[in-house]
Amino acid sequence: MLQEILLGNLSLKALPLHEPIIIAAGVFMALALGAVLVGITVLRKWGVIWRDWVCSVDHKKIGIMYIVLAGVMLLRGFSDALLMRSQQAIAAGTSMGYLPPEHYDQIFTAHGVIMIFFVAMPFMVGLMNLTIPLQIGARDVAYPYLNSLSFWMTFVGAMLTNVSLVVGSFAATGWLAYPPLSGIKYSPGVGVDYYIWALQIAGVGTLLGGVNFIATIVKMRCPGMTLMKMPIFVWSVLCASILICLSFPILTVALALLELDRLLGMHFFTQLYGGNMMMYINLIWAWGHPEVYILILPAFGIFSEVVATFSRKLLFGYTTMVYAIAAITFLSFIVWLHHFFTMGAGANVNAFFGIATMIIAIPTGVKVFNWLFTMYRGSIRLDTPMLWVTAFFTTFAIGGMTGVLMALPPVDFHTHNSLFNVAHFHNTIIGGVLFGYFAGFIYWFPKAFGFYLNERLGKYAFGFWVAGFYFAFMPLYVLGLQGVMRRLVHYDNVAYQPYFLVAAFGALLILIGIGFQIFQVIYSVIYREQHRDKSGDAWNGRTFEWSISSPPPVYNFAITPQVKRIDQFWFDKQAKEPTHVHPEKMTYQDIHMPRNTSAGFFVGIFSGIFGFAMVWHMWLIASMGLLGVIATVIMRSFNKNTDYYISAEEVKKTEFAHFKEMFS
Amino acid sequence: MRIAALKTKYNKSVFKLFWLLITVLFLSSCDQKLTGILNPKGIITYEERILLFDSVALMLIVVIPVIIMSFAFIFRYRETHCEGDYKPNWSHSVFLEAFWWGIPCMIIIALGMLTWHYTHKLDPYRKIDGYPVSLQVQVVALPWKWLFIYPEYNIATVNVLKLPVNKQVEFFLTSDNVPMSAFFIPQLGSQIYTMAGMQTKLHLLPNQTGTYRGLDSQYNGDGFSDMHFPVDVVSQKEMEKWVSSVKQESQRLDIVNYTQLRQKSIAHPTTVYAGVDNHLFHNIMHYYMGKGPLKFNSANNE
Repeated sequence: MLQEILLGNLSLKALPLHEPIIIAAGVFMALALGAVLVGITVLRKWGVIWRDWVCSVDHKKIGIMYIVLAGVMLLRGFSDALLMRSQQAIAAGTSMGYLPPEHYDQIFTAHGVIMIFFVAMPFMVGLMNLTIPLQIGARDVAYPYLNSLSFWMTFVGAMLTNVSLVVGSFAATGWLAYPPLSGIKYSPGVGVDYYIWALQIAGVGTLLGGVNFIATIVKMRCPGMTLMKMPIFVWSVLCASILICLSFPILTVALALLELDRLLGMHFFTQLYGGNMMMYINLIWAWGHPEVYILILPAFGIFSEVVATFSRKLLFGYTTMVYAIAAITFLSFIVWLHHFFTMGAGANVNAFFGIATMIIAIPTGVKVFNWLFTMYRGSIRLDTPMLWVTAFFTTFAIGGMTGVLMALPPVDFHTHNSLFNVAHFHNTIIGGVLFGYFAGFIYWFPKAFGFYLNERLGKYAFGFWVAGFYFAFMPLYVLGLQGVMRRLVHYDNVAYQPYFLVAAFGALLILIGIGFQIFQVIYSVIYREQHRDKSGDAWNGRTFEWSISSPPPVYNFAITPQVKRIDQFWFDKQAKEPTHVHPEKMTYQDIHMPRNTSAGFFVGIFSGIFGFAMVWHMWLIASMGLLGVIATVIMRSFNKNTDYYISAEEVKKTEFAHFKEMFS
Repeated sequence: MRIAALKTKYNKSVFKLFWLLITVLFLSSCDQKLTGILNPKGIITYEERILLFDSVALMLIVVIPVIIMSFAFIFRYRETHCEGDYKPNWSHSVFLEAFWWGIPCMIIIALGMLTWHYTHKLDPYRKIDGYPVSLQVQVVALPWKWLFIYPEYNIATVNVLKLPVNKQVEFFLTSDNVPMSAFFIPQLGSQIYTMAGMQTKLHLLPNQTGTYRGLDSQYNGDGFSDMHFPVDVVSQKEMEKWVSSVKQESQRLDIVNYTQLRQKSIAHPTTVYAGVDNHLFHNIMHYYMGKGPLKFNSANNE
């Protein structure tokens, strides 16, 4: 009785003691985590980590934490990919491979969920956090405490997904958990509950982040920076944030209804008693389609920044770029049905959504031409961020083309749910989104830390990634056209095996690429003195983030910049105007800053407890978790001590140190 | 001037590459090992393959120049080149921007027209013009097996489908006791979802005899990978011979058999039934409309 109240459905049976692979993975995760904890204790860094990171409301630090989370989860999601590729490389003909279907089904579900929600999203929000306030000349985001809260909600969502690996199981439904498969009848275990609560918590975090960035961009731009003078990355993030605010509530509602179906036996999405699963599929894609544009728009923004900087030329067609982004933002909401042409909607409906989808190719094509003509008559430096852009053009052109193909309903009748589809969306998400984020990561790394990432290792990583990508996904196009479906645990036609072997080889190349990236970061940190950038303007940049020291001081700008035109910083440099006045000649004012707080962390932890308890039906603990969230928020609202001033003398001292370093 | 010269050059290479690609795909489609849309055996898949190739060709008009330009510009304007033509502030050209809004617009208009035409022509619900419907088949997706009912012949099969060549077949599809699935014979035509309590429709017309692969294309649980079946396309004569041989079988699809079929099983062996309840298909759908337990009219079985 007591056990039921406290532990709900949780018992020792939830531990996968009979599954050697999972146990090994769990032990590895525990060892890695333990090593980190011991390391922190030995180095006596707990205080630093608590004060300077966990409680931090500094957008730069939160951005770095987001990117670290994305990096760690990338390793988890990628090991799922390796398991799948090796399984499919083996399991031809009579061979069943080494993974049973119930395990394999969880792996492909976890792979999709982790890669979208806990790699791509945090990576994107991390880069946004790092850069947006610096590009618009602001001290921080509009709501710094909310920003910390958003991060810890995302973190907790990711941790719930990881916990499901060891305690219980994860959903085996595919990454969008279509009912009736995700209903209680066909998925009686805790897997779908983990899925629902991980995404609900992370989703709320993302939604709050979207609100935060709209407010930041709309209200906190420096004087003179009108909307049409914003860097294009800011535009892309503004549009992505609008998409977040419009689409994430749909996800929240869809998942809440699904949870009600599972928990209280309601019938929103079951076929009996008037429910209809087609409604879920519409709802989830009404979120899911804008979601892919939430990911790609900031990547487009990064490409715009990188192309202009490394071509040493103004971005071509700024106004068309803005309109193209806005058009994509709007169109992304009226194409969701192209994800289920095969559901039997009439030809008029299918044709409408097919054509609407193709129209998106027009503004996207325009953007590509604008980038190309930004390079035209430029002076191009091929540093690693620019290398990723060069790979992007070809890869994304191919991915875009196959996307338009799938927008043709009669072609989709063949490629839907096939490996062609898998190849297509990896083609755009790796070739567009991830390449963009990698470019942005290398581009802004010196801004965040004050030293470059090693170029040579970065080039190796780039080479292996790009080659690996083509080996891994081009064979899938051919397989898809031959009618091979996705999510197969085995197949009996051995003629397909060579293609799968090539794909597995590609995954290995990507593994080497990731290895080089990890090594690149470690190497650059160890030899950071050789990679130091003292100027703060690591790439001869064009926007305001390059006008201050690297890493930037906590207040970002000692004096708020003024804008008269696009790329003001670049033109100041061209006009030989002194961009850096000696601090002794300047008069500074006290700077008003937000104080660090642990409230965001505690809200995250309590919502994590709530989510975990809901998964296992521990009602007592769940209500305590929920109470904890509410109590923390109320306590925080009574806290009057939320801000402080940095004195003018201290600002002068900091600026002077940077000035001395610059000209040393 | 330079751009115009570049364009004709690109256009030439576009056509060369395009024909090369088509030839390769065409030659490879003659290879009997290929499956799916690359090796069509039914009218619908033929048409869909034409549309696939046409639209690839249309898009390559933009895609190939983009790929070539991306490499050419990077190579031509890298930092080490002579900087005489470096124009750091050149960022706007009405002509160029109109050009690259215009060209994709025109291509999408062409593609849109193709889409409208073919989406209506190849709508799975639409009867194929010029051919009478000569056979109806009711399809029920069951937990990791397929049930096919031939109402005209009053027979049923599990995990095997026999079709006459050059005859239009009309499928009615639903599912029972299994999450949403999808019925797909890649070499013959389109795929369509099967959903409990609902009926979807599909029209196919095989035009070569042979054995093709039918499958479930929508992931629906642990048995998904094994939920496939052979599709035998045979001459009308052989079809009739097969039907009469099935009618000689002793086994009928009655409530006991059907209850067993509703249970989960992976890689269920092919089975044939010499008799079947005419109303079974509709009763399965009605069950999901909340009209009480699954009715099975055994009197109709005779």
